[in-house]
Amino acid sequence: MVGHGMTGMLGEDGIHVDMNHLKKGEVNLGTSIMAINFNGGVILGADSRTTTGAYIANRVTDKLTQVHDTIWCCRSGSAADTQAVADIVSYHLNMYSIVNNEAPSTQVAAALFQELCYENKDMLSAGIIIAGYDPKHGGQVYSIPLGGSLHKQPYSIGGSGSTYIYGYCDKHWKEDMTEQEGIDFVRGALQEAIKWDGSSGGVIRLVVLTSQGAQRHLYLPDNGYTGPGVTN
Amino acid sequence: MTGFDFSNYNRNAALHAKGVPLPKATSTGTTIVGCIYDNGVVIAADTRATSGPIVADKNCEKLHYIAPKIWCAGAGTAADTEFTTALISSNIELHALSTGRPPRVITCMTMLKQHLFRYQGHIGAYLVVAGVDPTGIGLFTVHAHGSTDKLPYVTMGSGSLAAMSVFESMWKPNLDRDGAVALCAEAIKAGIFNDLGSGSNVDVCVIEKDKPTQLLRNYIKPNERGEKERNYRFPKGTTAYLNQKIISKEDMRKYVSVEEASGDPNLMEVDI
Amino acid sequence: MTTLSGQPLSEAIGYSFSNANSAPHREHSFYPYTDNGGSTLGITGSDFAILAGDTRSVAGYNINSRYVPKVFKIGGDDETGDGAHIVLSVVGFAADGQALKERLDAVVKMYKYQHGKPMSVRACAQRLSTILYQKRFFPYYVHAILAGLDEEGKGALYSYDPVGSYEREQCRAAGSAASLIMPFLDNQVNFKNQYIPGSGEGHALEPKKAEPLPRETVEQLVRDAFTSAVERHIEVGDGLQMMVITRSGVEEIYYPLKKD
Repeated sequence: MVGHGMTGMLGEDGIHVDMNHLKKGEVNLGTSIMAINFNGGVILGADSRTTTGAYIANRVTDKLTQVHDTIWCCRSGSAADTQAVADIVSYHLNMYSIVNNEAPSTQVAAALFQELCYENKDMLSAGIIIAGYDPKHGGQVYSIPLGGSLHKQPYSIGGSGSTYIYGYCDKHWKEDMTEQEGIDFVRGALQEAIKWDGSSGGVIRLVVLTSQGAQRHLYLPDNGYTGPGVTN
Repeated sequence: MTGFDFSNYNRNAALHAKGVPLPKATSTGTTIVGCIYDNGVVIAADTRATSGPIVADKNCEKLHYIAPKIWCAGAGTAADTEFTTALISSNIELHALSTGRPPRVITCMTMLKQHLFRYQGHIGAYLVVAGVDPTGIGLFTVHAHGSTDKLPYVTMGSGSLAAMSVFESMWKPNLDRDGAVALCAEAIKAGIFNDLGSGSNVDVCVIEKDKPTQLLRNYIKPNERGEKERNYRFPKGTTAYLNQKIISKEDMRKYVSVEEASGDPNLMEVDI
Repeated sequence: MTTLSGQPLSEAIGYSFSNANSAPHREHSFYPYTDNGGSTLGITGSDFAILAGDTRSVAGYNINSRYVPKVFKIGGDDETGDGAHIVLSVVGFAADGQALKERLDAVVKMYKYQHGKPMSVRACAQRLSTILYQKRFFPYYVHAILAGLDEEGKGALYSYDPVGSYEREQCRAAGSAASLIMPFLDNQVNFKNQYIPGSGEGHALEPKKAEPLPRETVEQLVRDAFTSAVERHIEVGDGLQMMVITRSGVEEIYYPLKKD
């Protein structure tokens, strides 16, 4: 990884040095993200740090992106790539719901993400977790790692910070948790990831997807990630 | 025939493989910032343009017009920021004409990010987009690769760290117009004095609800050049010449219209 | 391979390149040098010499300090440098500059203790060349300028390359803004490209002859050179340190420069 964006402009080789440097992925979501199933739906969670080399370009990033009413995704990898992919999926899901006069299923959304990530694997650095709630299938979690494969999972963790919390998640995971248990699980896991991973940090953002719709949570480092909680 | 011309690509690739360095682009090794306040948004920039360690322009404009109430501050490769903002400005105008509505900041930001993403970072434009539209106040950063951020205060360019240190220590919620302008100017000054890529003057642009946009060119000039101590005007005849031919103004008038220039004809300063 | 020019294809291009080698492949290793930027300048007069340098120290786009001297008194009686009659300026890699100045200072002091008389500027200049050449294969990464008064009391100025090649000159600019300042000096000190108006026709026109300038003029030229370099070079600024060497000793003067 190279220094901050603009310092690269001044290379002895003119703009060429800059190009090589930029291609490596200017803004990175060196991230901790996860999504889980619980008995009433799904919960997505993420830290809020984006970095350019050692510099924190944004300390309150929103890595939880809505692509339909109750289908959301967690983004990790290149900020530009994941934003572009999410924008395209969002467009297609909008069109889908207009054409078919019904909301798309989580699986449709995940398949769209996979299509983009697999067919353009040589161009993209994007690791995405998709989670959604639809009345037919309830809550579902899908993971698309770097190569563009698609995995349906009970819960999924991703980003550079996830390596630190495989043990934590394995130990504490339970099927059919209540909403509060789920929230505590995600928050506890992300807190550990932030603690150990230098590329993760800032606040913890959660989105709870149920039959009632989407609910956002926010947890600040000021009070040890205990609040304020629900923000909408 | 639209877009870029790649006909010299193969030749240039061959030359580069032989070790010919690529031409140096004028980079606006820059400090640019933006900050929202209760009734609008402020963006600001320094005015130094560099080519390597040499100052290419001491008083360039880095605040670009997109629409009457959407403006953009640019860092990175000077040509890329200028052409990209001009292109998007043009498209925004056409879009506004075709929809019959005032343009939105988010539309502008989306057009910029999609354009820059298509070119995979080869267009080295790092932008701060700001404006006021019917949906409210907007402030975004757009990176050369096409990623965007939405924040209440932002900085970009080589002086972004110096400028952000000012925001992170002095920013508070619910700023008024004067507070936001002062804070942005202070952030740019931090860039001017602590980052070698930034220098000279502070330009500010204030975009306010229900008010025309105010471009405050050279809002602060903390780096005026001092008087030179000696006079460097040469006596007439100092430069050697082998022959001379005089063409009078009267001769010129036969072919072109000649106008008298105002001011001291001996002065060479043309930079206004 | 046959080509139109009969030369191998790789040589067939009709112009030269500054570093025309094949694919630049880079090896990574520890690089012990840093360029700390800045500029120095020396001019001599009939009975004085002036050495000046800006006081900014940089690393990349960052400023290390706004006051790091580049001009030093050599062979003074104590740590303040009082009693010195030789001045050295170093620009380039500041750590090497510091080390070089310490070495030369020690040498000049030892000379005085061993011989019971101060070292002449000519001798000091030769010794500095030796010191630099001793590190021919791991050079001091600096452009040094040495100034003082010669045996006749005239201003003496010696300028060096990093490995010890040296020359006595009337004036010299060194460092990052040397290419901006040196042409100005050629024109204003040695009157290059200046002719005496009306002294002749065509080739018979007489060039303006260079002669030693008065101290006040030289000080003005130095300040104008630096305030102008500050305008166009990003690594020059903050302060100007001037040392004026006369028969009565070394006078140090500081002027503020722009800090952007």
